[in-house]
Amino acid sequence: MQLPAFDEGKYNFFDVSWKAPMDTVSGITEWSRDINSVYSLTTIICTLVFFAVAIPLVITLVKFKQKPGDDSPPKQFHGNPTLEVLWTVIPVVLLIFIAVPTWRVLFKHSHVAEGSLEVEAIGHQWWWEFRYPQNGKIITASELHLPENTPVHFRVWSADVIHAFWIPKFGGKTDANPTSFAEDGSPTRWNEINVVTPLLADKTKIHGEMYQGQCTQLCGSSHALMRFNVVIHSKEEFDRWAKTAYTPPKVETTLAQAGEQVFARCQACHTIAGTPSEQIPGVKIGPNLTNFGNRKYLGAGTRLNTPENLAAWLREPSSIKPGSLMPAGLVNEEEIAQVSSYLRLATAKSY
Amino acid sequence: MAKNLPKTGLISWLTSVDHKRIGVMYALGSLFFLIVGGIEAILMRTQLIAPNNTFLTGDLYNGLVTMHGTTMIFLVVMPLSAAFFNYLVPLMIGAPDVAFPRLNALSYWIWLFGACLLNTSYLVQQIPAVGWFAYANLTEKQFNPTHSVDYWVLGVQVVGLASLIAAINFFVTIINMRCKGMTLLKMPLFIWTTLVTQVLLILSLPVITVALIMLTFDRSFGTGFFNPGLGGQVVMWQHLFWIFGHPEVYILILPAMGIVSEILATFARKPLFGYTVMVYSSCAIGFLGFAVWAHHMFTTGLGPWATALFSAATMLIAVPTGVKIFNWISTLWGGKIRFTTASMFAISFVAMFTLGGLSGVMHSSPVIDTQHQASYFVVAHFHYVLYGGAVMGLFGGIFYWYPKITGRLMNEPLGKLQFWLYMVGFNVTFFPMHFLGLEGMPRRIYTYASDQNWNFWNFCATMGAYVTAVGGALFFINMFGSLKWGKKASADPWDGRTLEWSIPSPPPEYNFAKLPEVTQLDDWWHKKYTHDGKRLTPPQQPYVDPKSIHLPNQSFWPIVLAAGITTIASGFVAPANGVFVSLIGVALTVSASFGWAYEEP
Repeated sequence: MQLPAFDEGKYNFFDVSWKAPMDTVSGITEWSRDINSVYSLTTIICTLVFFAVAIPLVITLVKFKQKPGDDSPPKQFHGNPTLEVLWTVIPVVLLIFIAVPTWRVLFKHSHVAEGSLEVEAIGHQWWWEFRYPQNGKIITASELHLPENTPVHFRVWSADVIHAFWIPKFGGKTDANPTSFAEDGSPTRWNEINVVTPLLADKTKIHGEMYQGQCTQLCGSSHALMRFNVVIHSKEEFDRWAKTAYTPPKVETTLAQAGEQVFARCQACHTIAGTPSEQIPGVKIGPNLTNFGNRKYLGAGTRLNTPENLAAWLREPSSIKPGSLMPAGLVNEEEIAQVSSYLRLATAKSY
Repeated sequence: MAKNLPKTGLISWLTSVDHKRIGVMYALGSLFFLIVGGIEAILMRTQLIAPNNTFLTGDLYNGLVTMHGTTMIFLVVMPLSAAFFNYLVPLMIGAPDVAFPRLNALSYWIWLFGACLLNTSYLVQQIPAVGWFAYANLTEKQFNPTHSVDYWVLGVQVVGLASLIAAINFFVTIINMRCKGMTLLKMPLFIWTTLVTQVLLILSLPVITVALIMLTFDRSFGTGFFNPGLGGQVVMWQHLFWIFGHPEVYILILPAMGIVSEILATFARKPLFGYTVMVYSSCAIGFLGFAVWAHHMFTTGLGPWATALFSAATMLIAVPTGVKIFNWISTLWGGKIRFTTASMFAISFVAMFTLGGLSGVMHSSPVIDTQHQASYFVVAHFHYVLYGGAVMGLFGGIFYWYPKITGRLMNEPLGKLQFWLYMVGFNVTFFPMHFLGLEGMPRRIYTYASDQNWNFWNFCATMGAYVTAVGGALFFINMFGSLKWGKKASADPWDGRTLEWSIPSPPPEYNFAKLPEVTQLDDWWHKKYTHDGKRLTPPQQPYVDPKSIHLPNQSFWPIVLAAGITTIASGFVAPANGVFVSLIGVALTVSASFGWAYEEP
């Protein structure tokens, strides 16, 4: 569809430093900048219209206030066809100025770019799973790793209820709908997001070290705590990350060895690549923990990944994330130290 | 039996079929739920006053989100509008009562019992926590195994039945019972917006009824309409819900638009500017309202073409709405404006509704909407429309018609204080929510991290909510206090333009001693003033013996039938023996229907 030219990238009047890690107006991808340009234009038009209403209203209220003692009725007039036609036609014209750029941007970002990196973003109650079907069997959770300046094709779906996948600085959101599955276990339906990742040099616009995202569709008890982070790598670094993202853990201490034994009880729900947990069939309801040691946060981006927070999580997950499907009291204090050592140290890899 | 029922006391209210009494009961019921919904809002705002707050648990917060939305829409704005329909439609069209007086009582009692059924969920601590639009498949048994969602489904189902019955009643009343000379284009604009509202209700409520039945089947009988695991479709719920849900938005706002039109004309002492265009724009809003539902679903994954078409339809709806706003301003232009609490609320409606409408235009662009959808920007938008708009308009209506209903005026200084507290509180609460949305705060989150830069505006919003609560308390003091201490009101205290001001305040049970005849729009005004503004002596209501006017008899059957229907619904949430509870309800419903049918009219 061909629509008149609209120089999208140039009209970002609200691109100021908001110091909010998830703000929608200082985007760093072409898509978010295009959205912001339509938003800027629309906001200006709407602001003008607001004053076109507010100023006459205030003038009217001041000018035609009843004078004290004046009890006679004013002249009774019923309308003015010219004026009424005028304020029917002007909004139509203004709306065209909003509609055309809208449709241009809408269709521009509706196709998959060639050579896109495929990423599956899968919503679970209450965490995000990310799969990279082109890069072997990489599965990770709550921390999305992407190479810079690369077109990415997100396929978004849900394993349980509806969630919504949103990285505000990348652009708009889309719902993660639950789906049925084909015979090979692949989903039959998904929503898409097409976006070119930002340059590493744009890191100045990151608040902290990572971009942030969050679920925006009410999905149960801990909907508010369904957060995730996005790490942008150079292309070389991403390739190195991808190679380590599915290697088995290095168990080097006796404490971690004991932890490995304890983890055997966790594998009905959790997987770590290169361990027997991979052999357990069926869809796992807990996040994949292959590179847990590298993750900055635990509990779907809600707490820093420290030994104290991990211990608190293992004692009673619902104290951090209410309604968590992981029950409390699975491990005693000694086992917490062991499995914590295994999870935090043995799965941490350098890349 | 019906003939000997008392005319005063509790029984007289329970058996009343008088549209005025039912209107008053609707108003009192909905104002009670305004307090409930307000408390829910205050609790939520208190939880969000600071990051990582632990005042409420996540489940309770999600429950309050759901109950606040459902309460404010189905138990406050809709029935408060219905209160105005009930009280005013017969008076403004010059009729002795509505077309089906017993049906009118039935719809009130069904509404009240349905509202109680919904709120019983608090008592049994099974609060629905799925949001007011209850997206599938979170509502399935698998994810909400208790009866919480059933309370929501059946509460809304029963309340919806009440609206459907009332809508048919008012539609027939307006079409058939107008007084002599009142052609369609001589009806007050409030009657027009009421008529369009009833059409919207009649066409949209069946859709939600069907959707709720499907959901009831999913939850109670194991079907899988909305369960993807059984081949169902979650997006189908969204379509069904919003095909009802978007007309619902206009169902909420159109009555307030009508009220505001009447108030502005009266207090500018001028006819409504562009009456005919106002009528057509109301119809256009009603018509287009059915073609825009998918703009609630721009992130659902409809594909670019469907999205583009629905965005175009949505933008179009801004045109008739804009026309209304300029016509209201022009109504004031050239008038002699009296600033009373009623007119101030009506004027604020125009300003606040404009702000809400303009943020609506922003969302009509699906690309912008992908950023704003389900963020606080949307929360700001619909509160400007439904709170700054609908609720402010309805408050104006209460101050305006209170003297007609009670024979006393509400206290003006207290009313103006309430108005300013509302204006300040409302804007301090909801304007910052635009900023929160732009800063990426999702709606319906019970907690947020401290490093998101959301702390300050959330604090402001909560403070604004507290200010509003003070204003709300003043309103109830004013409303009940004025019953006793308010100045006595004449039949026509505001120098009104429509027929209800031609009869005493409060009106007699039979309304008009002699049914009026009209020759033009604003007929009552023209009975008081000549075309060049000279005063005339308006005709007085003739004396008649009240006993000579036939009025419909009081009846017990509406309340019994309503109890029967609600009992059927209660079976679905009963902890045990639900089938028997429902069967008792069926028995009650059937016998009440027979009693009703064979009762002397």
